[in-house]
Amino acid sequence: MSLLAYIVRRLLLMVLVLIGVSLLVFTMMMLLPPGQRVAIYVTNDRVSPAMMDALIAKYGLNDPAPLQYFRWLRNLLHGEFGYSITASSPVLKGFARFLPVTLELVLYAAPLIILTGIFLGTLGAVRKDTAMDHVTRVLAIVGFSLPTFWLGLLLMMIFYGFLGIFPPGALSTDVRNIVFSDPTWHPYTHLVTIDAILNWRWQVFWDAFYRMILPTLNLVVINSALIMRLMRSSMLEALGQDYMMTARAKGADRKTLFRRHARRNAMLPVITISGITFAELMGSMVITETIFDRKGIGWWMAQAALQLDVAAIMFDVLFLGTIYVVVNLVVDLIYAYVDPRVRLS
Amino acid sequence: MKTMHPRLRELAFTLRRFLKNPLSVIGLSLVVIFGLIALLAPVLEPPKYADPYKIPHTGFHIEPSPPSAAHPLGTMQQQYDMLYGLVWGTRSAFRIGVLVVAANLFIGIILGVLAGYFGGLVDEVIMRITDIFFAIPFLVMAMALVVAIGRGLKAVVVVLIILGWPSYTRVLRSDILVTRGKDFILAARASGASHLRIMFTHIVPNALYSVLILASLNIGTTILTAAALSFLGLGSETGTADWGQIISLCRSWIVGTPGNRFAYWYTVFIPGFVISLFVLGWNLMGDAVRDVFDPRMRRR
Amino acid sequence: MSTALQTLVETSDLHTNFYTFEGVVRALNGVSIVVNRGETYGLVGESGCGKSVTVRSLMRIVQPPGRIDSGRIVLFLNERDRSRGIEILQRTETYMQSIRGSDISMIFQEPGAALNPVLSVLDQVGESYRLHRMEQMITETLAGLEGERTAMHRNSPRRAVRRLQAALLKAERRGLQRWAALVGRIDNELYLLEDRQDVEALARKESLNRGRDRARPRSGLASIARRVPLLRRYRRPINATIRRHVVELLRSLGIPNPENVVRRYPHELSGGMQQRIVIAIALACHPTLLIADEPTSNLDVTIQAQIVELIKDLKRTTISSVLFITHDLGLVAEVCDRVTVMYAGDVSETATVRELFRGPLHPYTAGLLASVPKVDQREELSMIPGAVPNLIRPPEGCRFHPRCPKRMEICEIQKPPTVEHSRGHWVACHLYPGRGNA
Repeated sequence: MSLLAYIVRRLLLMVLVLIGVSLLVFTMMMLLPPGQRVAIYVTNDRVSPAMMDALIAKYGLNDPAPLQYFRWLRNLLHGEFGYSITASSPVLKGFARFLPVTLELVLYAAPLIILTGIFLGTLGAVRKDTAMDHVTRVLAIVGFSLPTFWLGLLLMMIFYGFLGIFPPGALSTDVRNIVFSDPTWHPYTHLVTIDAILNWRWQVFWDAFYRMILPTLNLVVINSALIMRLMRSSMLEALGQDYMMTARAKGADRKTLFRRHARRNAMLPVITISGITFAELMGSMVITETIFDRKGIGWWMAQAALQLDVAAIMFDVLFLGTIYVVVNLVVDLIYAYVDPRVRLS
Repeated sequence: MKTMHPRLRELAFTLRRFLKNPLSVIGLSLVVIFGLIALLAPVLEPPKYADPYKIPHTGFHIEPSPPSAAHPLGTMQQQYDMLYGLVWGTRSAFRIGVLVVAANLFIGIILGVLAGYFGGLVDEVIMRITDIFFAIPFLVMAMALVVAIGRGLKAVVVVLIILGWPSYTRVLRSDILVTRGKDFILAARASGASHLRIMFTHIVPNALYSVLILASLNIGTTILTAAALSFLGLGSETGTADWGQIISLCRSWIVGTPGNRFAYWYTVFIPGFVISLFVLGWNLMGDAVRDVFDPRMRRR
Repeated sequence: MSTALQTLVETSDLHTNFYTFEGVVRALNGVSIVVNRGETYGLVGESGCGKSVTVRSLMRIVQPPGRIDSGRIVLFLNERDRSRGIEILQRTETYMQSIRGSDISMIFQEPGAALNPVLSVLDQVGESYRLHRMEQMITETLAGLEGERTAMHRNSPRRAVRRLQAALLKAERRGLQRWAALVGRIDNELYLLEDRQDVEALARKESLNRGRDRARPRSGLASIARRVPLLRRYRRPINATIRRHVVELLRSLGIPNPENVVRRYPHELSGGMQQRIVIAIALACHPTLLIADEPTSNLDVTIQAQIVELIKDLKRTTISSVLFITHDLGLVAEVCDRVTVMYAGDVSETATVRELFRGPLHPYTAGLLASVPKVDQREELSMIPGAVPNLIRPPEGCRFHPRCPKRMEICEIQKPPTVEHSRGHWVACHLYPGRGNA
């Protein structure tokens, strides 16, 4: 019962935060002149300067702010997000095109980030003050300090520029032709690597997979540092607790001590932090997609910011904010499930 | 054994620990070196124009040129001098970092103290606002806000100030909540000290350490975000002595010439390396300070 | 108790140091104690005097930066053959793991912190059985399965499943048995070599120890099955067996409603209940020696009395010897047979409780006794002036001399030897120089 109550409470809080997010985005929009805000309401780009005043009047862009807010909210709920010039299509259509590219990268990078962080962090704590510990600590702090864009550029310079492997872009031209115009290709999920397996096209799979290696590497190096550090320190803390003494006194071996007793406790804060890691992943996604020329949400966002594509930007912020709020909810629920102290209090 | 005031002994002990850790010494030296570069920029690289943050360039030739006597670190695209850009970039990094973090601290501390000390509705409102700020990935939010208020280095600074304070508020508030329940505060209250007095003589100083450590770590992050925004083309104009801007000028030169595949390595490598060192310095220092002050880590 | 006492464990000249950032903390300065079979032995002293470090050294669970630097600890597990002592400091970690929790176990000061917050009571108590009594658990499980199977219809498919399950369990047990036999053989050889110090024997000991470390219970079939999803479920009935044992154990410790308690997590239980769970963990495998490290100092007074009663009960019924650490002299008088007083890493005085309370020899013991309030107390409560010394730079000579009312010149120069003042009454103080001529 209490878990249910907890979920309900969290859901209510989530709605509240989402309303806050929408207000924040709306405030940002209102900083722009009405002429630029028109893009959020129109459904095509055939807007001539002459029509502008008419459109501003039509959508009531000089009305009092609260009125505009509720009108905008109504549009959102109807799925009307305006027209994106960078996608040259209505926002939602562009979104459907860009999302799978990003999603696929997240699908590969996120588990790797978490596993790498936990593995190296545990290693450092278990072998505290040995060479292994120092190496992982230095790795973590370097990963923390490296600019995402620089690491990406270096990787490109070494692998693509010098060795001539791992070219940028999400797909080669041949493969793109297959994916976008071959009638025998069935886009079941729109995630190319998974579709390739389902379509039994190994050439496509390999091409997509191959081009994902460098961006994934880039994301993992940058984003696993936080988890690594937290895992190390919380593992050290767990190892110093009294219950570890109890476990040793009952004759537990190293494996039981580390895996069963210490790691379970040490993982708890890592679960909490994985939400933050997700947010950072989104940030580095913008940079990584820009550098490796993968046309996903992050790339779209960067382009939109450069070309003042207001509709696309506001939509992306809203979308990423919502996703992040949901991820945090899931993280909290997992935490409540794993830690008996939260579960029943 | 000589008797020493316990505070002093504690401080000496702390310093000894700090200096014994090679990583913290590296961090401190990096920060000091960068500080000196920023301070001595006009001496190291005398400005050519009225605005010292404009990098001098010799010609408009697009191809970067390798290090030479005239340009010790080579030039970037359009023949901007790399060394000049980096030296004055250090100065602007310090300006951005210190300005943003100081402003964040100011806002964050005031709101954190209000929320933590008064609790109730004030706390609720302030904390829900931080929740909303935390609900959007930082870089994404910063990009959107820069677009909304108009691009440029000034806009970047304003945006980082607007978005950066909530983490301080949160940390300070939770620290205050912890300290508020401590026995010595209850004792002070029982002995009739006033609200304000308790707040500024007991609570804030006790909670301040974690905020300052966070600030030291955040200077690095702030610079990284500012550089990322400049890299994406949302920050300073072309030719400004700003690290992110310099990197974005260099990003098209990852592929060398057919004969020499690393032909333009310097143009990609050097500026990023400098940014990394700067951020590394602050991170190492913040880390060391945190370890030293963390009572849980102390007696190990 | 006048018959010749049998030594169970003996430490001699134990030095344990902690290498901290501020310097080397010399926590144990040559501690020698003897715990006999069948007795309750008390270890008394102010906090920080090295009581806990002594028993942790005894179990070899001193945590870094601490290290046992010199001394000897000999454990006599074999009742009949006194020559078969086990040199604890020379054995491997794996060997120690098989001793801890099985032959010697320990209960702790703070039951709330001593239990792992994310594991249920069943997990934590059951772990003792899993670590030390797995073979027995499998045998019992098999017996249960056999009964179930005969009750089933001849051609029922569930009967075939039971068959497979039994086969896998047997394979696992065979692996355990083979391992136990091998380990037993190695242990036997090690016993025989125990006291020999010649080069050959040392080399042989080392290789035996290594062999013991490497030996693992292996059962080809079962270890594969354990990794296969579905098939892995063959071990479920073992869990049921362990659960039964845990419930029985908790019931025997007077825990009401044990079926319910085993599902709980530590934070859902009261302090007294938590301490009973800690005791249950320690008692699961019927240890020969139970070490109780201030088991009651963090509990309410009424609960304290209950726990003390429980330990006394257990001493009568199940455990051979108890090593009881406390700073509470009243408790010592109530529970212990013999007692050692420690001060700053040194043993000050050892005697039977009766003798210690009647005629304390060491000035520190006398001071301690005088500082306990009595019901008919009229005059001021006396106390020992000064504080426990810093063990990074301990006082020269007798570590108690700066606080000692009967300080002499020699006390500042020389550490007093331990002498047997009267039969069974040992003291380390320069006031008592010779044997029996006070």
